[in-house]
This record gives sequence, structure tokens and C-alpha cells, in this order.
Amino acid sequence: MKLKLIVIFFIIFFSKNLYSGETSEWLKREIDIILEAYKNQNLSNETRFLLIEKTINNNFAGTGIAKFVAGEAWKKSDKNTKKIYIDNFKRHLALNIASMMQGYSDQTYELTKSKYDQKNQVTLIDMEIFSDTGSVVVTWRVKESKDRFFVIDLIVADISLVVTKRSEFNSMLKKVDNDLSKFNEVLFDQNQISYEKITE
Amino acid sequence: MSKKIIILFFLFFSLLSYKVVASEADQVNTDSEDFETTTIEDEIYDPFEPVNRAIFSFNNVADRIVLEPIAKGYKKLPSPIQSGFNNFLSNLRTPLVVVNQLLQGQAENAFQSSGRFVVNSTVGVFGLFDVAEKIGLEEKEEDYGQTLATWGVGDGFYIVLPLFGPSNLRDTSGMVLTMLTDPINAYAVSEGEAWLVPMRTAVNAVDTRSQIIDEVNALRDNSVDYYAAVRSSYYQNRKAAINNVDDSELTPLPLISIEFE
Repeated sequence: MKLKLIVIFFIIFFSKNLYSGETSEWLKREIDIILEAYKNQNLSNETRFLLIEKTINNNFAGTGIAKFVAGEAWKKSDKNTKKIYIDNFKRHLALNIASMMQGYSDQTYELTKSKYDQKNQVTLIDMEIFSDTGSVVVTWRVKESKDRFFVIDLIVADISLVVTKRSEFNSMLKKVDNDLSKFNEVLFDQNQISYEKITE
Repeated sequence: MSKKIIILFFLFFSLLSYKVVASEADQVNTDSEDFETTTIEDEIYDPFEPVNRAIFSFNNVADRIVLEPIAKGYKKLPSPIQSGFNNFLSNLRTPLVVVNQLLQGQAENAFQSSGRFVVNSTVGVFGLFDVAEKIGLEEKEEDYGQTLATWGVGDGFYIVLPLFGPSNLRDTSGMVLTMLTDPINAYAVSEGEAWLVPMRTAVNAVDTRSQIIDEVNALRDNSVDYYAAVRSSYYQNRKAAINNVDDSELTPLPLISIEFE
């Protein structure tokens, strides 16, 4: 009986490790797609960004994050406004991630630690990026849904991208009385500026 | 027989629990008001926002015109020189780190930091080389702001200081305490070399800025409200420093649902 319990314990223990290992492998593949796009000199800046945007949209929980960062304004808005906002937000998210990853494209990295947070059903994966003078750790928060993985947040130097965006959006939404349609105009304009910068 | 069934059931249930619970998590009805992270926004007390925004704009221009170009130039120096500067400045901060660790009751960390200071100041040639890190003496930062927070002093209101950037009442008090009690600065002043104090501050600023060029630019270029983004980042970063907890564990987890369109 004892032996069986030990065997069961080991199976459960290793299944957890296998799970976070699988998540890390998936994440590495997707990060490499983005970094390779930056290294590929044959791509125009626009094509490069569109490729990266596609990868980000496929792998981030864009709609869920968009709802979260909209805060109170989400509830008050109609379906069409929400749809436009989600599209704007996804581009905004892609521009943010692409811009950040651009800085890391000429550096080497390693996925150093992976941990499954049982309570929240989220895998935390540490990515250590090395430069000549030191290293920086980016933590990816990944959630599984319907046999697919989705990034739900990124943490750099203790700063969560999603929490920062929520605070930033909240501040801007207050200025437009939590009117998501007015905010859509602001977000669209900002996206245009960021897009021009990243593709210039 | 019944035991076998129980074990099999237990095994089957445990192995599938990830999938089952994960799909349950998808059913989470996201009500933005429920999220734990809203407390972060509420905690930021910014009654002087218009003044802060004006100072922030000034700092931003100063950063673009002066600090960023110098930091970019500094970044072009050979990496051993950059590391040398960084290690040297970090070593100069260590005596006050030890004081703050003692004030926070972190005897073991204070002992380690003292060891770091001795090793790096001697074997590491006045702190130019971080030899201590290689023998397992890790660098840990503590300041008066963190000490005051540990003693239960609240953040106070948010302030943007000219040239120094984001802070709050408690951390500004901590910064003043640092200026007043830093033994290296005191020594420089007593030797009639007071110019070394602002010089050290300036070199520190360039060194720190050079390490976050890409991150700052990514945030600045892509924010709908850069001021609010920096304010939030400052609070998250300080909160993690005060609690001395692994960042990924401390940062509140947004309850984000996964939705397919």
C-alpha cells in the first residue's frame, strides 16, 4: 500500500513538472519567432511588425486583458464600442511588446525558472536576458485554456505590464468620464504614433 | 479491491485536475471591479497631480536632452568599464545598506553586506570588481524609505521631484536622510571635496539610466498616459522592494479570463 502511495506521489509530482516544462517549450518557440523576426534583415519594418503582431495576438489573452484594463468603463459600453476597443487594445498590446522585445533582440536569453501556481492555475516562467554588463529577468505569466497556452501578464523589474496599463488607462478614462468610445479615439491616435515609430 | 478503485480514482482525478480547474477558470465572470489590483490604484494618493505633471514634463524634457544622450554614450563604453563604474557606485552605497538592514532587523543580510563591502573594497580593488558575488555574497539593496515603510510609515502623497523623478513623502524623507548620513559623502565634505557629492549623484543617474534605456523608451513611446504609467511602475517597484519578496509572487495576479471570439 505504501509503495503504491509513493508511486502515486511521484506520478503527480512529475506530471506538474512536465506541465510547466511543456509551457516553457511553447513559450521559447514563440519568443524565438519574435526575436528571429528582428534578426531577419530581409523583412521590411512593417512586415516584421505585422509578423510579430500576429504572434502576439495568437499567444496573449488579448480580449481578457483588454476587459481587465478598461475597468469600470467596460460595463457601461455598448457591444460595438467594446469590439472597436478590443481591436485597438490588441494593436496597442502588440506595439508595447514588440517595442520591448526590440531592445532584447541583440541579446541572448535563457528560460531559467518555471513554476506552476496551483492556487491561480498560472505558470510563472522567468526569462533571463543577458547583456555584456548584466542581466534582466522578465517573468511571463501563462495560463492554459482548451489545450492552448496564453500569456496573461509580463513582469519586468517587479512591474506588471497589465497592472501598469490598467492604471494608465484608468487615468486617461477618468479624463473622458469613462466613455470608452472617446477613449477609443485616444488609443487609436496613440497606436498610430507608436506604429509609425516602430515601422519607420 | 475497493482500495484499488479509490487509488485509481484519486490518480485519475489528480492528473486531470489541471485541465478541469483550468477550464473552470475560463468560466470566471470578469467583473473589473472585483480585481485585487484595484487596490494599487487606490493606494496612489496624488493630490498635487497638476504640479507633479508639470515637473514630470520638465524632467522628461531634461531626460531627452541631457540624461538619455549621455546614458546612450555611456552604454557605448566597453562593458568592463561600465561594470566597473556600476560595481564601484554600488560598493559606495553598501555602508548605508548595512545600516538600513540593521534598522530593519535583518542581521544576516547586514552581515553578508558587510562581508561584500570588505571583500569588494579590498580584493575587488576599491569595489571595481564584484568578487563577493562570485563567492556567494549576493547584493541586496535597502534604503531609509524601505526602513521607514518597515516601521509602519505610510507612503504619504506622491511627488515628482525636479530631476530626481518619482517619489512619495516617505521616500523623499528617506532620500534626505541618505544625503545627511551617507558616510562617503560626509567624508568628501570634511575633506573639502564637496563637489564629489553632486558628481556621484550624476554618475549614479547616468549609470542607472543606461541600464533601462529600452524599457523607458518602450514605455514612453507606447503610453496613452506616460505620467500615470511611471507613477504606477514606481509604486509597484517600491512595494516589491519594501516587501523583499520574489517579484513574480508579490505582484498581484490579474484575474484575466481567456475568451475566444
